Amino acid sequence: MAATRAGPRAREIFTSLEYGPVPESHACALAWLDTQDRCLGHYVNGKWLKPEHRNSVPCQDPITENLASCLQAQAEDVAAAVEAARMAFKGWSAHPGVVRAQHLTRLAEVIQKHQRLLWTLESLVTGRAVREVRDGDVQLAQQLLHYHAIQASTQEEALAGWEPMGVIGLILPPTFSFLEMMWRICPALAVGCTVVALVPPASPAPLLLAQLAGELGPFPGILNVLSGPASLVPILASQPGIRKVAFCGAPEEGRALRRSLAGECAELGLALGTESLLLLTDTADVDSAVEGVVDAAWSDRGPGGLRLLIQESVWDEAMRRLQERMGRLRSGRGLDGAVDMGARGAAACDLVQRFVREAQSQGAQVFQAGDVPSERPFYPPTLVSNLPPASPCAQVEVPWPVVVASPFRTAKEALLVANGTPRGGSASVWSERLGQALELGYGLQVGTVWINAHGLRDPSVPTGGCKESGCSWHGGPDGLYEYLRPSGTPARLSCLSKNLNYDTFGLAVPSTLPAGPEIGPSPAPPYGLFVGGRFQAPGARSSRPIRDSSGNLHGYVAEGGAKDIRGAVEAAHQAFPGWAGQSPGARAALLWALAAALERRKSTLASRLERQGAELKAAEAEVELSARRLRAWGARVQAQGHTLQVAGLRGPVLRLREPLGVLAVVCPDEWPLLAFVSLLAPALAYGNTVVMVPSAACPLLALEVCQDMATVFPAGLANVVTGDRDHLTRCLALHQDVQAMWYFGSAQGSQFVEWASAGNLKPVWASRGCPRAWDQEAEGAGPELGLRVARTKALWLPMGD
Amino acid sequence: MSAHNRGTELDLSWISKIQVNHPAVLRRAEQIQARRTVKKEWQAAWLLKAVTFIDLTTLSGDDTSSNIQRLCYKAKYPIREDLLKALNMHDKGITTAAVCVYPARVCDAVKALKAAGCNIPVASVAAGFPAGQTHLKTRLEEIRLAVEDGATEIDVVINRSLVLTGQWEALYDEIRQFRKACGEAHLKTILATGELGTLTNVYKASMIAMMAGSDFIKTSTGKETVNATFPVAIVMLRAIRDFFWKTGNKIYHHVTGRYAAYHDLPMS
Repeated sequence: MAATRAGPRAREIFTSLEYGPVPESHACALAWLDTQDRCLGHYVNGKWLKPEHRNSVPCQDPITENLASCLQAQAEDVAAAVEAARMAFKGWSAHPGVVRAQHLTRLAEVIQKHQRLLWTLESLVTGRAVREVRDGDVQLAQQLLHYHAIQASTQEEALAGWEPMGVIGLILPPTFSFLEMMWRICPALAVGCTVVALVPPASPAPLLLAQLAGELGPFPGILNVLSGPASLVPILASQPGIRKVAFCGAPEEGRALRRSLAGECAELGLALGTESLLLLTDTADVDSAVEGVVDAAWSDRGPGGLRLLIQESVWDEAMRRLQERMGRLRSGRGLDGAVDMGARGAAACDLVQRFVREAQSQGAQVFQAGDVPSERPFYPPTLVSNLPPASPCAQVEVPWPVVVASPFRTAKEALLVANGTPRGGSASVWSERLGQALELGYGLQVGTVWINAHGLRDPSVPTGGCKESGCSWHGGPDGLYEYLRPSGTPARLSCLSKNLNYDTFGLAVPSTLPAGPEIGPSPAPPYGLFVGGRFQAPGARSSRPIRDSSGNLHGYVAEGGAKDIRGAVEAAHQAFPGWAGQSPGARAALLWALAAALERRKSTLASRLERQGAELKAAEAEVELSARRLRAWGARVQAQGHTLQVAGLRGPVLRLREPLGVLAVVCPDEWPLLAFVSLLAPALAYGNTVVMVPSAACPLLALEVCQDMATVFPAGLANVVTGDRDHLTRCLALHQDVQAMWYFGSAQGSQFVEWASAGNLKPVWASRGCPRAWDQEAEGAGPELGLRVARTKALWLPMGD
Repeated sequence: MSAHNRGTELDLSWISKIQVNHPAVLRRAEQIQARRTVKKEWQAAWLLKAVTFIDLTTLSGDDTSSNIQRLCYKAKYPIREDLLKALNMHDKGITTAAVCVYPARVCDAVKALKAAGCNIPVASVAAGFPAGQTHLKTRLEEIRLAVEDGATEIDVVINRSLVLTGQWEALYDEIRQFRKACGEAHLKTILATGELGTLTNVYKASMIAMMAGSDFIKTSTGKETVNATFPVAIVMLRAIRDFFWKTGNKIYHHVTGRYAAYHDLPMS
């Protein structure tokens, strides 16, 4: 019968060979919404929470069919969810890893059994092509659970010395909320944390997932999902029970959250922005690279837009192929099995319309093509070219589904252009020349690089970013460490001081007057700031007195200021490429040379330490331990990075550990020699260059070490600036070209550093006034330092011929 | 069928810079099979379209005039009449694109098709099919004889050793001579992609075959261990598109294999 009805149509199709609608039934998604009476609440502690007197927002599919209403959480709901997670944490984290592994495996099985419901619901509400959700997201969700179940089962051996942080607050973006949630809850739950997730209103898939997890039984409160507006983010983040906040969303929101969380109890992990990058060189398989562009921007696989850099010599060819390919793209309802991309709702449509309009007004050419319904909220694949590099649109993030193409001349220039943006998420390199591909792959400052592919992902490969894309990680070992802290360290406490004035903290340097003649030992330690390999007079041309433990004047050190910090950072930047390019072996050799020099200077250093009140024996031990630290880090850095093997991919994925860049370190007052060396050694061993502010109480020991560094190290590797601690901290924390900062000092200083880091979103490590036992192996040279001193990059190298 | 591809002068710059990335093409091949589906009347119409592109073929040692006759009848009526009626397609004259036989059976096929009263072209394999490892002179003679017998499409296989050793000029000249020997018949060049080693070679051989004047390029003989695969088809189609962009000539693409069911078809 069906065939008869089809008769007349078949004739036309036979000639036109067009595609027809292949609607996927979403009856099961609607039936599930019916079980909730079309009113979605929150899923807390294994139960649906539907408090009264709450605002509700409609949950629509992108074609504006009203599906249900979603209750908006308020502060007390957040508190209830955090309390539930806190109670659940006690039981969940106390169980052996094997039990957690079993639970995660069971959740994977439940997802497998109900995957149709998940994929239709997700595709219905988000409007993404059902094929991507069905074959991509839901399968990946199961793989993630299986991978992390294995990690949980080996946790006691593989992650000895680490313990779960506690309750994790997870803040999700409106698009890709289900998948982003899976990437983060899996490692968090695996290591023993419990989660409170705040999803934007009208994202039912995370709620469904929480329900599936909750109905599994014995651990109801480990995954709690609230839906609510963005105004709840600071409320969730500042709940006293929350130990870490994992935020994914827009860069500006992340920045604001970084500022508002300064000094609060919770740690913050940011994953910001959605833009990706594609480098197309003239040795590339252009057709395949064009498919890479489609994967990145026009297939509902990636969340954001794409910046496309094309080598000038293949510009015309690439653009022609790209435009031809765009013409063949089909857009339509997400639940249609024959569309390439769906629609993402009114907000996404507004965003892209605004971007394209502005780009046009700034002189760009806009090309749109494809078989796309003309009404809102559908938006055609868009290719923007000839955008002047200095125009505002060239700086902002490219929205979905736009590709902004610009030419480059040489690989070197491509690196400059690509690394010139503040974003550092993911990028792909298309080149058939191995040398060139690796040069670009290693040189790009991003978290993930695919060679001749785009958008591959796997649970065992760490994925993250650097620069303004935030420096949190998910997947692989790095994803686990996000939710762990070294065992035995005191819990992070809030050090919030409400009356800290960010505008004036450390702004003025208290003036210092001559305090009498120096009665320090002779020869007197060198005077000046150690910048660019030599001792320089401070810009302010003034000095500050240093007293010994009995209060006598010990000597004067230079009073460094903003200008000196600027010079030191510049010197460190100049030295960085050379130092980072050295092999670990060469770096280790120099650290060992410095260790030997310290040992030769042992008696001087020990006598200085004695004047600071240490026993002679202890002083000598400190010098010896310092030398040992230098050697240990030199040796440890040899075995860094490793190769991963990924299911379904021929060829390796390299997990690289790359230096951060210029690292600013403010050393603690105590252990004037050991702490200085313990921080210096890993930083240099991993290829960073440093600007250090030595112990304020006794900077003389650091200056003694500088004498040796002047002879052993190339100029600019390590720069030491003495002076007023708060002032120097302010200068470093606000510096936009410092890539990371470690601060060991007062609670107020820590709060300021965390607040100021929002500028270029540099990762910070602040001690919050807690002293560290630098002479203990765990705290003075533990794996935590090794983790924080470098950043990961995943380099995908598919092979085949 | 459109006019012949006249071919072009040999221009090695068309193939010198080409790069084909194997893993990327494999991924594309996987995607293309999963990305869009056609269902219901679209599926029926597409499948009918596919039928009209089939070269119905028998290439066995035991072919006789009786099974050739059966084959020709099947070529004329590939789909049951009542099914076509149900789709309202019975008056569209749906037949397969051609009947393909060994040179010695061309006469039988021509006769049988004439008896059935239709003008489906007869294709003949020639030129040392399937290995291409005979003297050029006998291969050319084979083509001429098949054309004389009434074949209007000639399937030739290229000499794989010329591709593997990179003798593109020699390959071009050889196919040029096949072209000449074909006269008015269509030249269908079989690349035997399973024996070319790499996808880059597939692209280059496709381009050379088209430059030399092939009207069709075809994946394989059906006699190699690896026949038509998706990645190979993608690369050949990309070559065909590039040739079209350069010359304005549309070349046809042929995939070869034994397909038992709809789901085995590379097109499905």
